[in-house]
Amino acid sequence: MVGVTHYLVLSAAVFAIGVFGILTRRNALLFLMSVELMLNAANINLVAFSLHYGNLSGQVFALFVMALAAAEVAIGLGIILVLDRNFGGIDVTVPTTMRR
Amino acid sequence: MALIELPTWAALAPALVLGATALVLFLIDSIEPEPDTTSPTLLTGVGLAGALSALGFNVWYLIAGTGQTTAIELFGGQLMVDGMTLVLGTIVASVLALVVIASYDYIAEEPHQAEYFSLLFLAATGMTLLGSVDSFATAFIALELSSLPSYALVSYLKDNRGSVEAGLKYFLVGALSSAIFAYGISLVYGATGSLQFDAVASAVDPTALPGILGVGIVMIVGGVAFKTASVPFHFWAPEAYEGAPTPISAFISSASKAAGFVLAFRIFTTAFPIDAVAGTIDWLLLFQVLAVATMVLGNFAAATQENVKRMLAYSSVGHAGYVLIALAALTPQANPDLVLGAGMLHLLVYGFMNTGAFLFVGLAEYWDVGRTFEDYNGLASEAPVASVAMTVFLFSLAGLPVGAGFLSKYVLFGAAVGAGLWWLAAIGAIASALSLFYYSRVVKALWIEEPTEEFEIDSYPVGLYTAIVVAAVVTVLLLPAFGLASEEAIAAAGALV
Repeated sequence: MVGVTHYLVLSAAVFAIGVFGILTRRNALLFLMSVELMLNAANINLVAFSLHYGNLSGQVFALFVMALAAAEVAIGLGIILVLDRNFGGIDVTVPTTMRR
Repeated sequence: MALIELPTWAALAPALVLGATALVLFLIDSIEPEPDTTSPTLLTGVGLAGALSALGFNVWYLIAGTGQTTAIELFGGQLMVDGMTLVLGTIVASVLALVVIASYDYIAEEPHQAEYFSLLFLAATGMTLLGSVDSFATAFIALELSSLPSYALVSYLKDNRGSVEAGLKYFLVGALSSAIFAYGISLVYGATGSLQFDAVASAVDPTALPGILGVGIVMIVGGVAFKTASVPFHFWAPEAYEGAPTPISAFISSASKAAGFVLAFRIFTTAFPIDAVAGTIDWLLLFQVLAVATMVLGNFAAATQENVKRMLAYSSVGHAGYVLIALAALTPQANPDLVLGAGMLHLLVYGFMNTGAFLFVGLAEYWDVGRTFEDYNGLASEAPVASVAMTVFLFSLAGLPVGAGFLSKYVLFGAAVGAGLWWLAAIGAIASALSLFYYSRVVKALWIEEPTEEFEIDSYPVGLYTAIVVAAVVTVLLLPAFGLASEEAIAAAGALV
Protein backbone atom coordinates (compact mmCIF):
# COMPACT_ATOMS: atom_id res chain seq x y z
CA MET A 1 0.00 0.00 0.00
CA VAL A 2 1.38 3.39 -1.00
CA GLY A 3 0.68 5.88 1.79
CA VAL A 4 1.01 9.65 2.06
CA THR A 5 4.55 9.27 3.37
CA HIS A 6 5.64 7.86 0.03
CA TYR A 7 4.16 10.83 -1.78
CA LEU A 8 5.77 13.19 0.70
CA VAL A 9 9.19 11.63 0.05
CA LEU A 10 8.60 11.79 -3.72
CA SER A 11 7.62 15.46 -3.59
CA ALA A 12 10.56 16.31 -1.32
CA ALA A 13 12.88 14.61 -3.83
CA VAL A 14 11.38 16.51 -6.77
CA PHE A 15 11.61 19.78 -4.81
CA ALA A 16 15.24 19.08 -3.93
CA ILE A 17 16.08 18.37 -7.58
CA GLY A 18 14.51 21.74 -8.45
CA VAL A 19 16.56 23.56 -5.81
CA PHE A 20 19.71 21.77 -6.98
CA GLY A 21 19.01 22.88 -10.54
CA ILE A 22 18.60 26.50 -9.48
CA LEU A 23 21.81 26.48 -7.49
CA THR A 24 23.99 24.84 -10.13
CA ARG A 25 22.66 25.98 -13.51
CA ARG A 26 23.35 29.37 -15.04
CA ASN A 27 21.05 28.99 -18.04
CA ALA A 28 17.84 30.98 -17.58
CA LEU A 29 15.70 28.35 -19.32
CA LEU A 30 16.99 25.61 -17.02
CA PHE A 31 16.15 27.92 -14.12
CA LEU A 32 12.55 28.09 -15.35
CA MET A 33 12.42 24.29 -15.61
CA SER A 34 13.77 23.93 -12.08
CA VAL A 35 11.12 26.31 -10.71
CA GLU A 36 8.54 24.26 -12.55
CA LEU A 37 9.80 21.12 -10.79
CA MET A 38 9.46 22.86 -7.42
CA LEU A 39 5.90 23.95 -8.16
CA ASN A 40 4.98 20.46 -9.30
CA ALA A 41 6.45 19.04 -6.11
CA ALA A 42 3.88 21.20 -4.32
CA ASN A 43 1.18 19.80 -6.62
CA ILE A 44 2.13 16.21 -5.75
CA ASN A 45 1.66 17.04 -2.06
CA LEU A 46 -1.61 18.83 -2.66
CA VAL A 47 -3.13 15.99 -4.66
CA ALA A 48 -1.84 13.25 -2.33
CA PHE A 49 -3.12 14.95 0.81
CA SER A 50 -6.38 15.79 -0.92
CA LEU A 51 -6.92 12.04 -1.34
CA HIS A 52 -5.73 11.38 2.20
CA TYR A 53 -8.15 13.86 3.81
CA GLY A 54 -10.97 13.17 1.36
CA ASN A 55 -11.60 16.84 0.52
CA LEU A 56 -11.14 18.43 -2.87
CA SER A 57 -9.62 21.79 -1.96
CA GLY A 58 -6.09 20.47 -2.49
CA GLN A 59 -6.86 19.18 -5.97
CA VAL A 60 -8.58 22.41 -6.98
CA PHE A 61 -5.68 24.46 -5.66
CA ALA A 62 -3.27 22.26 -7.65
CA LEU A 63 -5.14 23.30 -10.82
CA PHE A 64 -4.66 26.96 -9.87
CA VAL A 65 -0.96 26.38 -9.23
CA MET A 66 -0.58 24.87 -12.71
CA ALA A 67 -2.34 27.81 -14.35
CA LEU A 68 -0.23 30.33 -12.43
CA ALA A 69 2.95 28.41 -13.27
CA ALA A 70 2.07 28.72 -16.95
CA ALA A 71 1.48 32.46 -16.55
CA GLU A 72 4.80 32.79 -14.76
CA VAL A 73 6.61 30.99 -17.58
CA ALA A 74 4.99 33.34 -20.10
CA ILE A 75 6.37 36.39 -18.28
CA GLY A 76 9.68 34.63 -17.71
CA LEU A 77 10.15 33.79 -21.40
CA GLY A 78 9.44 37.42 -22.28
CA ILE A 79 12.11 38.60 -19.89
CA ILE A 80 14.57 35.95 -21.13
CA LEU A 81 13.91 37.15 -24.70
CA VAL A 82 14.86 40.76 -23.90
CA LEU A 83 17.79 39.42 -21.86
CA ASP A 84 19.07 37.65 -24.96
CA ARG A 85 18.61 40.78 -27.10
CA ASN A 86 20.44 43.05 -24.67
CA PHE A 87 23.21 40.80 -23.40
CA GLY A 88 23.59 38.35 -26.30
CA GLY A 89 22.96 35.26 -24.17
CA ILE A 90 20.79 33.80 -21.46
CA ASP A 91 23.41 33.15 -18.80
CA VAL A 92 21.89 34.64 -15.64
CA THR A 93 25.29 35.52 -14.15
CA VAL A 94 26.37 37.75 -17.05
CA PRO A 95 24.22 40.87 -16.42
CA THR A 96 26.09 42.80 -13.72
CA THR A 97 25.84 46.37 -14.99
CA MET A 98 24.80 47.69 -11.59
CA ARG A 99 27.36 46.00 -9.38
CA ARG A 100 30.45 48.06 -8.82
CA MET B 1 -24.83 53.18 9.21
CA ALA B 2 -24.73 53.23 5.45
CA LEU B 3 -27.36 55.31 3.69
CA ILE B 4 -27.72 52.90 0.80
CA GLU B 5 -27.82 49.13 1.15
CA LEU B 6 -25.16 47.68 -1.11
CA PRO B 7 -24.88 43.99 -2.03
CA THR B 8 -22.08 42.22 -0.15
CA TRP B 9 -19.86 41.82 -3.21
CA ALA B 10 -19.72 45.63 -3.38
CA ALA B 11 -17.31 45.42 -0.45
CA LEU B 12 -14.72 44.37 -3.04
CA ALA B 13 -15.38 47.56 -5.05
CA PRO B 14 -11.82 48.96 -4.67
CA ALA B 15 -10.26 45.84 -6.23
CA LEU B 16 -13.02 45.58 -8.85
CA VAL B 17 -12.54 49.21 -9.89
CA LEU B 18 -8.80 48.70 -10.31
CA GLY B 19 -9.29 45.52 -12.33
CA ALA B 20 -11.92 47.18 -14.54
CA THR B 21 -9.61 50.16 -15.13
CA ALA B 22 -6.89 47.78 -16.34
CA LEU B 23 -9.31 46.25 -18.83
CA VAL B 24 -10.58 49.66 -19.99
CA LEU B 25 -6.98 50.71 -20.65
CA PHE B 26 -6.40 47.58 -22.74
CA LEU B 27 -9.64 48.31 -24.60
CA ILE B 28 -8.63 51.91 -25.37
CA ASP B 29 -5.34 50.65 -26.73
CA SER B 30 -6.94 47.97 -28.89
CA ILE B 31 -9.51 50.35 -30.39
CA GLU B 32 -6.74 52.68 -31.54
CA PRO B 33 -5.90 51.65 -35.15
CA GLU B 34 -2.27 52.79 -35.22
CA PRO B 35 0.07 51.35 -32.57
CA ASP B 36 1.36 53.81 -29.98
CA THR B 37 -0.78 56.74 -31.04
CA THR B 38 -3.08 56.61 -28.01
CA SER B 39 -3.06 59.96 -26.30
CA PRO B 40 -0.97 59.79 -23.08
CA THR B 41 -3.30 62.35 -21.54
CA LEU B 42 -6.29 60.05 -22.09
CA LEU B 43 -4.45 57.06 -20.57
CA THR B 44 -3.27 59.05 -17.57
CA GLY B 45 -6.74 60.55 -17.13
CA VAL B 46 -8.45 57.15 -17.17
CA GLY B 47 -5.78 55.77 -14.85
CA LEU B 48 -6.10 58.65 -12.44
CA ALA B 49 -9.89 58.35 -12.42
CA GLY B 50 -9.60 54.63 -11.66
CA ALA B 51 -7.04 55.09 -8.89
CA LEU B 52 -8.95 57.96 -7.27
CA SER B 53 -12.29 56.14 -7.36
CA ALA B 54 -10.65 53.09 -5.74
CA LEU B 55 -9.23 55.44 -3.12
CA GLY B 56 -12.67 57.02 -2.70
CA PHE B 57 -14.33 53.63 -2.15
CA ASN B 58 -11.72 52.68 0.45
CA VAL B 59 -12.05 55.92 2.38
CA TRP B 60 -15.85 55.80 2.13
CA TYR B 61 -15.95 52.24 3.49
CA LEU B 62 -13.50 53.14 6.24
CA ILE B 63 -15.70 56.04 7.34
CA ALA B 64 -18.95 54.09 6.92
CA GLY B 65 -17.49 51.24 8.97
CA THR B 66 -17.97 48.55 6.30
CA GLY B 67 -16.91 45.18 7.67
CA GLN B 68 -15.16 46.69 10.66
CA THR B 69 -17.33 45.27 13.42
CA THR B 70 -17.74 41.87 11.75
CA ALA B 71 -15.70 41.03 8.68
CA ILE B 72 -17.67 40.56 5.46
CA GLU B 73 -17.10 37.07 4.09
CA LEU B 74 -17.33 36.45 0.36
CA PHE B 75 -17.20 33.40 -1.91
CA GLY B 76 -17.60 30.84 0.83
CA GLY B 77 -14.96 32.37 3.05
CA GLN B 78 -12.26 32.59 0.38
CA LEU B 79 -12.18 36.38 0.54
CA MET B 80 -13.08 38.76 3.32
CA VAL B 81 -13.24 42.51 3.82
CA ASP B 82 -12.37 44.11 7.13
CA GLY B 83 -10.60 47.21 8.40
CA MET B 84 -7.16 45.87 7.47
CA THR B 85 -8.30 45.33 3.87
CA LEU B 86 -9.49 48.90 3.63
CA VAL B 87 -6.36 50.42 5.19
CA LEU B 88 -4.21 48.46 2.73
CA GLY B 89 -6.54 49.46 -0.12
CA THR B 90 -6.09 53.10 0.86
CA ILE B 91 -2.30 52.78 0.83
CA VAL B 92 -2.22 50.99 -2.54
CA ALA B 93 -4.69 53.36 -4.21
CA SER B 94 -2.88 56.49 -2.94
CA VAL B 95 0.52 55.25 -4.09
CA LEU B 96 -1.01 54.18 -7.40
CA ALA B 97 -2.52 57.63 -7.99
CA LEU B 98 0.85 59.32 -7.32
CA VAL B 99 2.67 56.86 -9.59
CA VAL B 100 0.14 57.32 -12.40
CA ILE B 101 0.53 61.11 -12.38
CA ALA B 102 4.31 60.85 -12.26
CA SER B 103 4.41 58.28 -15.08
CA TYR B 104 2.75 60.79 -17.42
CA ASP B 105 6.06 62.63 -17.69
CA TYR B 106 8.43 59.79 -16.96
CA ILE B 107 7.34 57.47 -19.77
CA ALA B 108 6.31 60.27 -22.17
CA GLU B 109 8.91 59.16 -24.76
CA GLU B 110 8.35 55.40 -24.40
CA PRO B 111 6.23 53.08 -26.55
CA HIS B 112 3.49 50.76 -25.19
CA GLN B 113 2.15 53.21 -22.64
CA ALA B 114 -1.31 51.62 -22.51
CA GLU B 115 0.23 48.27 -21.57
CA TYR B 116 2.34 49.99 -18.94
CA PHE B 117 -0.72 51.51 -17.28
CA SER B 118 -2.77 48.29 -17.58
CA LEU B 119 -0.03 46.22 -15.96
CA LEU B 120 0.24 48.82 -13.21
CA PHE B 121 -3.48 48.46 -12.50
CA LEU B 122 -3.39 44.66 -12.64
CA ALA B 123 -0.57 44.65 -10.09
CA ALA B 124 -2.54 47.09 -7.91
CA THR B 125 -5.58 44.80 -8.13
CA GLY B 126 -3.48 41.93 -6.83
CA MET B 127 -2.06 44.03 -4.00
CA THR B 128 -5.53 45.23 -2.97
CA LEU B 129 -6.82 41.65 -3.05
CA LEU B 130 -3.92 40.51 -0.86
CA GLY B 131 -5.62 42.45 1.91
CA SER B 132 -8.84 40.48 1.60
CA VAL B 133 -7.55 36.92 1.25
CA ASP B 134 -8.85 34.43 3.77
CA SER B 135 -7.37 31.17 2.48
CA PHE B 136 -3.98 30.05 1.23
CA ALA B 137 -5.43 29.41 -2.23
CA THR B 138 -6.54 33.02 -2.72
CA ALA B 139 -3.37 34.24 -1.01
CA PHE B 140 -1.22 32.49 -3.60
CA ILE B 141 -3.33 33.75 -6.50
CA ALA B 142 -3.35 37.34 -5.26
CA LEU B 143 0.38 37.18 -4.61
CA GLU B 144 1.03 36.05 -8.18
CA LEU B 145 -1.40 38.63 -9.58
CA SER B 146 0.61 41.35 -7.90
CA SER B 147 4.02 39.86 -8.78
CA LEU B 148 3.66 38.86 -12.44
CA PRO B 149 2.78 42.34 -13.80
CA SER B 150 5.52 43.79 -11.58
CA TYR B 151 8.19 41.64 -13.29
CA ALA B 152 7.07 42.96 -16.66
CA LEU B 153 6.92 46.55 -15.39
CA VAL B 154 10.45 46.43 -13.96
CA SER B 155 11.82 45.38 -17.36
CA TYR B 156 9.54 47.84 -19.20
CA LEU B 157 12.46 49.81 -20.67
CA LYS B 158 13.39 46.85 -22.82
CA ASP B 159 16.33 48.47 -24.60
CA ASN B 160 17.87 49.61 -21.34
CA ARG B 161 20.28 47.01 -19.99
CA GLY B 162 19.76 48.10 -16.39
CA SER B 163 16.00 47.70 -16.63
CA VAL B 164 16.27 44.24 -18.23
CA GLU B 165 18.81 43.10 -15.67
CA ALA B 166 16.58 44.39 -12.87
CA GLY B 167 13.57 42.59 -14.31
CA LEU B 168 15.56 39.36 -14.64
CA LYS B 169 16.78 39.43 -11.03
CA TYR B 170 13.33 40.33 -9.72
CA PHE B 171 11.82 37.51 -11.74
CA LEU B 172 14.40 34.90 -10.73
CA VAL B 173 14.07 35.56 -7.02
CA GLY B 174 10.31 36.01 -7.32
CA ALA B 175 9.75 32.73 -9.18
CA LEU B 176 11.95 30.88 -6.69
CA SER B 177 10.21 32.35 -3.65
CA SER B 178 6.72 31.77 -5.04
CA ALA B 179 7.66 28.10 -5.61
CA ILE B 180 8.87 27.92 -2.01
CA PHE B 181 5.65 29.61 -0.85
CA ALA B 182 3.54 27.09 -2.81
CA TYR B 183 5.48 24.18 -1.37
CA GLY B 184 5.02 25.62 2.12
CA ILE B 185 1.27 25.85 1.52
CA SER B 186 1.20 22.23 0.37
CA LEU B 187 2.97 21.14 3.56
CA VAL B 188 0.59 23.15 5.75
CA TYR B 189 -2.30 21.57 3.87
CA GLY B 190 -0.71 18.20 4.48
CA ALA B 191 -0.45 18.82 8.21
CA THR B 192 -3.91 20.34 8.69
CA GLY B 193 -6.07 19.21 5.76
CA SER B 194 -7.36 22.70 5.07
CA LEU B 195 -6.47 25.86 3.17
CA GLN B 196 -8.81 28.28 4.99
CA PHE B 197 -6.90 30.42 7.50
CA ASP B 198 -9.20 29.89 10.49
CA ALA B 199 -9.67 26.19 9.70
CA VAL B 200 -5.87 25.78 9.60
CA ALA B 201 -5.58 27.39 13.03
CA SER B 202 -8.18 25.10 14.58
CA ALA B 203 -6.77 21.99 12.88
CA VAL B 204 -3.22 22.53 14.11
CA ASP B 205 -2.25 19.46 16.09
CA PRO B 206 1.23 19.77 17.56
CA THR B 207 1.49 16.02 18.10
CA ALA B 208 0.77 14.95 14.52
CA LEU B 209 3.41 15.75 11.89
CA PRO B 210 4.93 18.74 13.75
CA GLY B 211 7.95 18.75 11.48
CA ILE B 212 5.89 19.10 8.32
CA LEU B 213 3.90 22.00 9.71
CA GLY B 214 7.06 23.70 10.99
CA VAL B 215 8.85 23.44 7.64
CA GLY B 216 5.70 24.67 5.92
CA ILE B 217 5.52 27.74 8.15
CA VAL B 218 9.19 28.57 7.56
CA MET B 219 8.66 28.30 3.79
CA ILE B 220 5.65 30.61 4.00
CA VAL B 221 7.83 33.11 5.87
CA GLY B 222 10.19 32.88 2.90
CA GLY B 223 7.43 33.77 0.45
CA VAL B 224 6.39 36.74 2.57
CA ALA B 225 9.98 37.88 3.03
CA PHE B 226 10.35 38.15 -0.76
CA LYS B 227 7.25 40.31 -1.13
CA THR B 228 8.32 42.64 1.68
CA ALA B 229 12.01 42.72 0.64
CA SER B 230 13.18 41.38 4.00
CA VAL B 231 16.24 39.26 4.78
CA PRO B 232 16.83 36.53 3.52
CA PHE B 233 14.96 37.31 0.27
CA HIS B 234 15.98 40.96 0.04
CA PHE B 235 18.82 40.79 -2.47
CA TRP B 236 16.61 41.38 -5.48
CA ALA B 237 15.50 44.72 -4.05
CA PRO B 238 18.54 46.98 -4.65
CA GLU B 239 18.98 45.71 -8.22
CA ALA B 240 15.29 45.81 -9.10
CA TYR B 241 14.67 49.24 -7.58
CA GLU B 242 17.78 50.72 -9.17
CA GLY B 243 17.20 49.39 -12.67
CA ALA B 244 13.43 49.74 -12.87
CA PRO B 245 11.69 52.86 -14.23
CA THR B 246 11.61 55.06 -11.12
CA PRO B 247 7.80 55.32 -10.74
CA ILE B 248 7.77 51.51 -10.73
CA SER B 249 10.49 51.42 -8.07
CA ALA B 250 8.30 53.73 -5.99
CA PHE B 251 5.25 51.56 -6.57
CA ILE B 252 6.93 48.25 -5.75
CA SER B 253 8.84 49.52 -2.75
CA SER B 254 5.76 51.15 -1.17
CA ALA B 255 2.55 49.42 -2.24
CA SER B 256 3.92 45.93 -2.81
CA LYS B 257 5.74 45.97 0.52
CA ALA B 258 2.57 47.07 2.34
CA ALA B 259 0.57 44.28 0.65
CA GLY B 260 3.17 41.69 1.65
CA PHE B 261 3.09 42.83 5.26
CA VAL B 262 -0.71 42.80 5.46
CA LEU B 263 -0.65 39.24 4.11
CA ALA B 264 1.92 38.33 6.77
CA PHE B 265 -0.14 39.98 9.53
CA ARG B 266 -3.20 38.04 8.47
CA ILE B 267 -1.47 34.66 8.05
CA PHE B 268 0.39 34.82 11.33
CA THR B 269 -2.50 36.10 13.43
CA THR B 270 -5.34 34.08 11.84
CA ALA B 271 -3.80 30.87 10.49
CA PHE B 272 -0.82 30.43 12.82
CA PRO B 273 -1.61 32.19 16.11
CA ILE B 274 1.45 31.79 18.29
CA ASP B 275 -0.32 29.88 21.08
CA ALA B 276 -1.59 27.30 18.55
CA VAL B 277 1.71 26.63 16.77
CA ALA B 278 4.16 27.33 19.61
CA GLY B 279 4.77 23.58 19.91
CA THR B 280 6.03 23.35 16.32
CA ILE B 281 7.87 26.57 15.63
CA ASP B 282 8.36 29.77 17.60
CA TRP B 283 7.86 32.26 14.77
CA LEU B 284 8.19 35.17 17.21
CA LEU B 285 11.88 34.37 17.60
CA LEU B 286 12.20 33.88 13.84
CA PHE B 287 10.74 37.33 13.15
CA GLN B 288 12.87 38.93 15.88
CA VAL B 289 16.00 37.59 14.20
CA LEU B 290 14.75 38.66 10.75
CA ALA B 291 13.81 42.13 12.01
CA VAL B 292 17.26 42.74 13.49
CA ALA B 293 19.04 41.33 10.43
CA THR B 294 16.90 43.36 8.03
CA MET B 295 17.25 46.64 9.94
CA VAL B 296 21.01 46.31 10.37
CA LEU B 297 21.75 45.07 6.86
CA GLY B 298 19.46 47.56 5.11
CA ASN B 299 20.76 50.59 6.97
CA PHE B 300 24.46 49.71 6.88
CA ALA B 301 24.32 48.89 3.18
CA ALA B 302 22.46 52.15 2.50
CA ALA B 303 25.16 54.11 4.31
CA THR B 304 27.85 52.87 1.91
CA GLN B 305 26.09 53.72 -1.36
CA GLU B 306 27.15 56.40 -3.82
CA ASN B 307 24.00 56.22 -5.93
CA VAL B 308 20.90 57.94 -4.52
CA LYS B 309 18.40 55.48 -5.99
CA ARG B 310 20.35 52.50 -4.68
CA MET B 311 20.60 54.18 -1.28
CA LEU B 312 16.80 54.54 -1.24
CA ALA B 313 16.51 50.89 -2.27
CA TYR B 314 18.59 49.71 0.70
CA SER B 315 16.77 52.11 3.00
CA SER B 316 13.57 50.46 1.81
CA VAL B 317 15.00 47.14 3.03
CA GLY B 318 15.74 48.83 6.35
CA HIS B 319 12.15 50.05 6.64
CA ALA B 320 10.92 46.50 6.04
CA GLY B 321 12.95 45.66 9.14
CA TYR B 322 11.14 48.30 11.20
CA VAL B 323 7.74 46.94 10.16
CA LEU B 324 8.89 43.39 10.94
CA ILE B 325 9.02 44.58 14.56
CA ALA B 326 5.21 44.57 14.42
CA LEU B 327 5.26 40.78 13.93
CA ALA B 328 8.25 40.16 16.18
CA ALA B 329 6.61 42.00 19.10
CA LEU B 330 3.40 39.95 19.26
CA THR B 331 4.59 38.51 22.58
CA PRO B 332 2.06 37.44 25.23
CA GLN B 333 2.50 40.66 27.26
CA ALA B 334 2.19 42.91 24.19
CA ASN B 335 -0.90 44.88 23.28
CA PRO B 336 -1.49 43.19 19.91
CA ASP B 337 -3.80 45.91 18.54
CA LEU B 338 -1.17 48.55 19.17
CA VAL B 339 1.73 46.50 17.80
CA LEU B 340 0.03 45.58 14.52
CA GLY B 341 -1.63 48.99 14.25
CA ALA B 342 1.79 50.63 14.57
CA GLY B 343 3.08 48.45 11.73
CA MET B 344 0.14 49.49 9.54
CA LEU B 345 0.68 53.16 10.38
CA HIS B 346 4.32 52.99 9.42
CA LEU B 347 3.34 51.37 6.12
CA LEU B 348 0.79 54.15 5.49
CA VAL B 349 3.22 56.98 6.19
CA TYR B 350 6.01 55.13 4.39
CA GLY B 351 3.75 54.82 1.35
CA PHE B 352 3.75 58.58 0.92
CA MET B 353 7.27 59.54 1.98
CA ASN B 354 9.04 56.74 0.13
CA THR B 355 6.99 57.20 -3.05
CA GLY B 356 7.79 60.90 -2.91
CA ALA B 357 11.51 60.32 -2.45
CA PHE B 358 11.68 57.88 -5.39
CA LEU B 359 9.68 60.28 -7.57
CA PHE B 360 12.19 63.04 -6.80
CA VAL B 361 14.89 60.70 -8.11
CA GLY B 362 12.63 60.21 -11.14
CA LEU B 363 12.50 63.98 -11.58
CA ALA B 364 16.29 64.14 -11.45
CA GLU B 365 16.48 61.37 -14.06
CA TYR B 366 14.00 63.31 -16.20
CA TRP B 367 16.42 66.22 -16.14
CA ASP B 368 19.46 63.93 -16.70
CA VAL B 369 21.30 65.33 -13.70
CA GLY B 370 22.95 61.98 -12.94
CA ARG B 371 22.48 59.46 -10.20
CA THR B 372 25.13 59.96 -7.52
CA PHE B 373 25.08 62.22 -4.46
CA GLU B 374 27.58 64.60 -6.12
CA ASP B 375 25.34 64.99 -9.16
CA TYR B 376 22.64 66.44 -6.92
CA ASN B 377 24.95 69.23 -5.68
CA GLY B 378 23.19 72.57 -5.72
CA LEU B 379 20.01 71.25 -7.28
CA ALA B 380 17.96 73.27 -4.77
CA SER B 381 18.90 76.52 -6.53
CA GLU B 382 17.23 75.25 -9.72
CA ALA B 383 14.29 73.37 -8.21
CA PRO B 384 13.55 74.78 -4.76
CA VAL B 385 9.98 73.44 -4.42
CA ALA B 386 10.90 69.86 -5.25
CA SER B 387 13.99 70.11 -3.04
CA VAL B 388 11.91 71.25 -0.05
CA ALA B 389 9.61 68.27 -0.67
CA MET B 390 12.61 65.90 -0.91
CA THR B 391 13.99 67.30 2.34
CA VAL B 392 10.65 66.62 4.03
CA PHE B 393 10.63 63.03 2.68
CA LEU B 394 14.18 62.27 3.76
CA PHE B 395 13.88 63.73 7.25
CA SER B 396 10.55 62.00 7.69
CA LEU B 397 12.10 58.70 6.57
CA ALA B 398 14.89 59.22 9.09
CA GLY B 399 12.31 59.87 11.80
CA LEU B 400 12.71 63.61 12.41
CA PRO B 401 9.46 65.39 13.36
CA VAL B 402 9.00 67.26 10.07
CA GLY B 403 6.72 64.54 8.75
CA ALA B 404 4.60 61.75 10.13
CA GLY B 405 7.54 59.31 9.88
CA PHE B 406 8.57 60.49 13.34
CA LEU B 407 5.26 59.54 14.97
CA SER B 408 4.88 56.18 13.22
CA LYS B 409 8.40 55.13 14.25
CA TYR B 410 7.78 56.42 17.78
CA VAL B 411 4.58 54.36 18.12
CA LEU B 412 6.27 51.31 16.59
CA PHE B 413 9.30 51.39 18.91
CA GLY B 414 7.02 52.25 21.84
CA ALA B 415 4.90 49.21 21.08
CA ALA B 416 8.04 47.05 20.99
CA VAL B 417 9.10 48.35 24.41
CA GLY B 418 5.58 47.65 25.68
CA ALA B 419 5.95 44.09 24.46
CA GLY B 420 9.07 43.68 26.60
CA LEU B 421 11.44 43.86 23.65
CA TRP B 422 13.36 47.00 24.60
CA TRP B 423 16.47 45.67 22.85
CA LEU B 424 14.60 45.42 19.57
CA ALA B 425 13.45 49.04 19.92
CA ALA B 426 17.01 50.06 20.81
CA ILE B 427 18.42 48.44 17.66
CA GLY B 428 15.69 50.15 15.67
CA ALA B 429 16.56 53.53 17.18
CA ILE B 430 20.29 53.04 16.46
CA ALA B 431 19.48 52.03 12.88
CA SER B 432 17.33 55.17 12.54
CA ALA B 433 20.17 57.34 13.83
CA LEU B 434 22.47 55.79 11.24
CA SER B 435 19.84 56.41 8.56
CA LEU B 436 19.87 60.13 9.42
CA PHE B 437 23.53 60.15 8.30
CA TYR B 438 22.88 58.94 4.77
CA TYR B 439 19.60 60.76 4.29
CA SER B 440 21.18 64.06 5.30
CA ARG B 441 23.95 63.51 2.74
CA VAL B 442 21.31 64.06 0.04
CA VAL B 443 19.94 67.12 1.83
CA LYS B 444 23.46 68.53 2.16
CA ALA B 445 24.12 67.95 -1.54
CA LEU B 446 20.86 69.64 -2.49
CA TRP B 447 21.13 72.75 -0.35
CA ILE B 448 24.72 73.36 0.77
CA GLU B 449 27.11 72.07 -1.90
CA GLU B 450 27.94 74.20 -4.93
CA PRO B 451 26.94 72.75 -8.31
CA THR B 452 29.88 71.23 -10.17
CA GLU B 453 28.47 72.16 -13.56
CA GLU B 454 25.49 74.03 -14.98
CA PHE B 455 22.19 72.14 -14.97
CA GLU B 456 20.34 72.06 -18.25
CA ILE B 457 16.79 72.27 -16.95
CA ASP B 458 14.50 73.66 -19.62
CA SER B 459 11.12 72.33 -18.49
CA TYR B 460 9.35 71.63 -15.25
CA PRO B 461 7.24 68.46 -15.72
CA VAL B 462 3.76 69.08 -14.35
CA GLY B 463 2.89 65.48 -13.51
CA LEU B 464 6.05 64.66 -11.57
CA TYR B 465 5.87 67.97 -9.70
CA THR B 466 2.20 67.44 -8.77
CA ALA B 467 2.91 63.93 -7.47
CA ILE B 468 5.92 65.07 -5.43
CA VAL B 469 4.14 68.06 -3.92
CA VAL B 470 1.01 66.05 -3.07
CA ALA B 471 3.13 63.33 -1.44
CA ALA B 472 5.00 65.97 0.61
CA VAL B 473 1.80 67.71 1.70
CA VAL B 474 0.26 64.41 2.81
CA THR B 475 3.46 63.41 4.65
CA VAL B 476 3.33 66.67 6.61
CA LEU B 477 -0.47 66.65 7.07
CA LEU B 478 -0.35 63.13 8.53
CA LEU B 479 1.55 64.69 11.44
CA PRO B 480 -1.51 66.55 12.83
CA ALA B 481 -3.91 63.93 11.44
CA PHE B 482 -1.94 61.10 13.00
CA GLY B 483 -4.45 60.57 15.79
CA LEU B 484 -7.25 59.98 13.29
CA ALA B 485 -5.16 57.60 11.16
CA SER B 486 -3.89 55.70 14.19
CA GLU B 487 -7.46 55.18 15.47
CA GLU B 488 -8.43 53.56 12.16
CA ALA B 489 -5.25 51.46 11.91
CA ILE B 490 -5.35 50.22 15.50
CA ALA B 491 -9.07 49.41 15.22
CA ALA B 492 -8.36 47.54 11.99
CA ALA B 493 -5.56 45.59 13.66
CA GLY B 494 -7.79 44.89 16.65
CA ALA B 495 -10.21 43.01 14.42
CA LEU B 496 -7.42 40.58 13.49
CA VAL B 497 -6.37 39.43 16.92
